[in-house]
Formats: sequence, C-alpha cells, structure tokens
Amino acid sequence: MSPTGSHAFVDDLALRHLDAAYNLGRWLLGNEQDAADAVHDAYLRAARASDSYAGGNARAWWLAIVRNCCLARLAIRNKEKRNVAIDQHPLTAEHWMPHTDADDVEDRIDSAKRQRLITQHLQNLPDHFREVLILREIEELSYREIADLLQTPIGTVMSRLARGRALLQKALADNVTMQAPYGL
Amino acid sequence: MDCKTANDLLPLYFDGELDRTTSREFETHLDACVDCRAALIELDALRQALREHAPRYSAPETLRARIQKTAATMTAGTSSRRRPSRGLALAASWVLAFAAGGAMMTLWNHASSSVDESSQLSRDLFASHWRALAATSPIDVVSTDQHTVKPWFAGKVATAPVVQDFSDQGYALIGGRIDYAGNERVPVLVYRHGKHLIDVFVLPQAIKPDTMPVIDKPIQSQGYVLDVVMLGGQRAAIVSDMGSAELERFRGLLSALR
Repeated sequence: MSPTGSHAFVDDLALRHLDAAYNLGRWLLGNEQDAADAVHDAYLRAARASDSYAGGNARAWWLAIVRNCCLARLAIRNKEKRNVAIDQHPLTAEHWMPHTDADDVEDRIDSAKRQRLITQHLQNLPDHFREVLILREIEELSYREIADLLQTPIGTVMSRLARGRALLQKALADNVTMQAPYGL
Repeated sequence: MDCKTANDLLPLYFDGELDRTTSREFETHLDACVDCRAALIELDALRQALREHAPRYSAPETLRARIQKTAATMTAGTSSRRRPSRGLALAASWVLAFAAGGAMMTLWNHASSSVDESSQLSRDLFASHWRALAATSPIDVVSTDQHTVKPWFAGKVATAPVVQDFSDQGYALIGGRIDYAGNERVPVLVYRHGKHLIDVFVLPQAIKPDTMPVIDKPIQSQGYVLDVVMLGGQRAAIVSDMGSAELERFRGLLSALR
C-alpha cells in the first residue's frame, strides 16, 4: 500500500472509531484532557505504524494502540504522584469514600443518581476488569476482538469479564440492600 | 446438559459466542432450570444498567478537529515527497480518460433505456442486503470454507462464482445465499469485516445487453454503498456499510482473483 493510501486508511479508521477510542481513554484515564491527548498520541503512532498493519481487525488494531497510549500515560502519572491513585484499589476506595447514598437517603433513585452510582462503581473496579466490561458491554466487541486488542488469550478475556461482572453486580447489590430500608 | 456445564456456558450464550447447536442445547436446559434463567436475567440487568447509565463518552469536537488538522499536515508532507511520480500519474489519467470516453460512447445508446433498469437493479441489491440484515440469519449455507460454499452454489445457479476466503486480510467468508435481482437468480457471497456484513452479488452474464444493466460507479443509499468489481470474469456488486478505504481494500482483493 502506498504511503498516502495507508495514511488515508488510518485517518478513516481513527475518525470513524474516534468515539470508541475516546470512550476507552476516558474510562481508563478518568479525565477528558488526558483521554483526548492519549487518543491524539495514538493517532500519530498509528499513522507512523500504518505500514506495519498486517490485516486483521482494523478496529481492534486501532483500539490496541489507543490502549497502549493510555497505559503509558497512566504509568507516568502514577510515577509522578508517587502515590497510587485511590481508585486503583477498590477496597481502599470503599473505605475512604463515604457512601454518598447514605447522605441523601430520602431521595428517590433517579436517573442521574443511578448514573453516578454506576460510574463510581465502575471507576472503582481494577483497570483490567473495567476495560473488558467497557469493551464488551458498551463498545460491543466480540471476545476475539477483545483478545486481539489486549493481546491476551481468549480464556483470560472470559475470566476477566466474568469476574468484572460479578464484582460490579455485588457492588450494586450491596448499594441497593443498604438503601432499601430507608429508600422505600 | 447439567447445571454445571450450563453455568459455564451462560456468559458465552449471553455474549452470542456459542455456536448454534450448543445454543439450542443450552436453551433446552434453560427452559427447565430456574436458577440459570435467573442468572441470565441478572447478566442482562447489568448490561442494561451499563448501557443506560454508564456514560459512553463521545469524543469532543476539538479532538476531532485536532486529528483532522494533524492528518492534513501529514498528507501534505507525504505528497510533496512523492511529486516525481506526478507526471506519470497525469499520463495515466489521460489514458484512463480516453478509455472511459470510448466506453461512454459505446454505452451512450444503451444509457437512456438502461438508466431506469440500473437504478431498479441497485434498488434490488440494496433491498436484498437490508432484508438479509433484518433476517435472523443472512446466510443459507453457513461456512467459512470456500470448498463448501462453491459446490453449494454449483447445483443452484448456472455458473458457480469464484469463492475465496480472506480471513487473513480481515474479510472472513461466512457463507452464501441465493437471491433475486430482477428476474435472475444470483449467488451472494457473504463476508464479515469487523462488525460490517458484506454481500457480494455475482451478477449473471448478460445474454442480451439490456437484460443486465450496467452500474459503473459506486452508489450510496442510506449509509450503504454499492460498488462493482470484476470477480474472475464475472461482474459482481459489493454492498455493505464499510468506509471507502475498507471497501477499496476488499475490492482490490476480489479483483485480484482469477
């Protein structure tokens, strides 16, 4: 493929799956600026490496680059902070974060609150569970695509997905039972 | 199927990763087992909760603009380096223009009568593609093996088309079906590229020039694109919702077949 041809290919690919890339970055990095920067990095890297694209699932190839750029940023950020981010450790996070729902028990669980709750629990999950959940449930990638993207065996994808789902189900269930006596 | 096996298969079933036979066995178990049904409902509740309430952040416009800007500067950089080949490209384009002009002249006489027919044909092909997408299964013979698909066609249409799997290039053959375009039975090869389903309609050789109208440029309809390619000596129409770059790659693969 000619250099211009592969450029056009990467441009098209990146722009078409820009939301998927940004969403992944936003969930991995936790804020808008870092997510946008990581996706832009990924675009540059993909454009430079476009000749190395050896066929196969183009979206998985592109998202794998995005993910690597996100992980690189996470590594730098963790080193700079010297402290491990609180949301890397769900148990610590649970210990330190007040259960916000207890503050406004009188409220009905409206949509905005439910969104906050799920976002928070998802954010509390360890990275490798959170990312498979996002890729499977929100981006609707197949097991094969996720395995290609993470460069792990498909069995690992399945076990992380199962574990991630179980953790999230448990977290949400705990929240509901805690609320029920007051909320209803 | 016992509950232990069913429990292992449950997420695979839920994620659509089970083959048909096992799915059916699983469903039989599901009809009889309350626990597994409950587990499936829980998985679905979690998915609904995530899809409804976990925000899918969309990329800000500023990011899109930034990437487009970078893309423009990078393309400018490459094309200036490739300038020497310009003269050749220009020459080639003149040759093409003459050839196309000649073709246009011969087509001219047919054009007025075949415009309606060719739009009718493209409508047929788009409709067939959409019908296939809406159906539970877009394929009659499910196979990733070209040696199964080709003989299947052999008994059903006059000329069995050239069938080749392109899994390695990212366009996996998933099967074939028979459909109608106008009054003709046409074989359809079904490929998958990522989430895109691709139909390749292998058009029959025209017996009289007017029976099969000519489509000579890509046609768009509601986000789907139809393009034509020569597939081992037969004209074929590709219908899918792929982007132009992906479509062009796939077209290249098909036209390279003999």
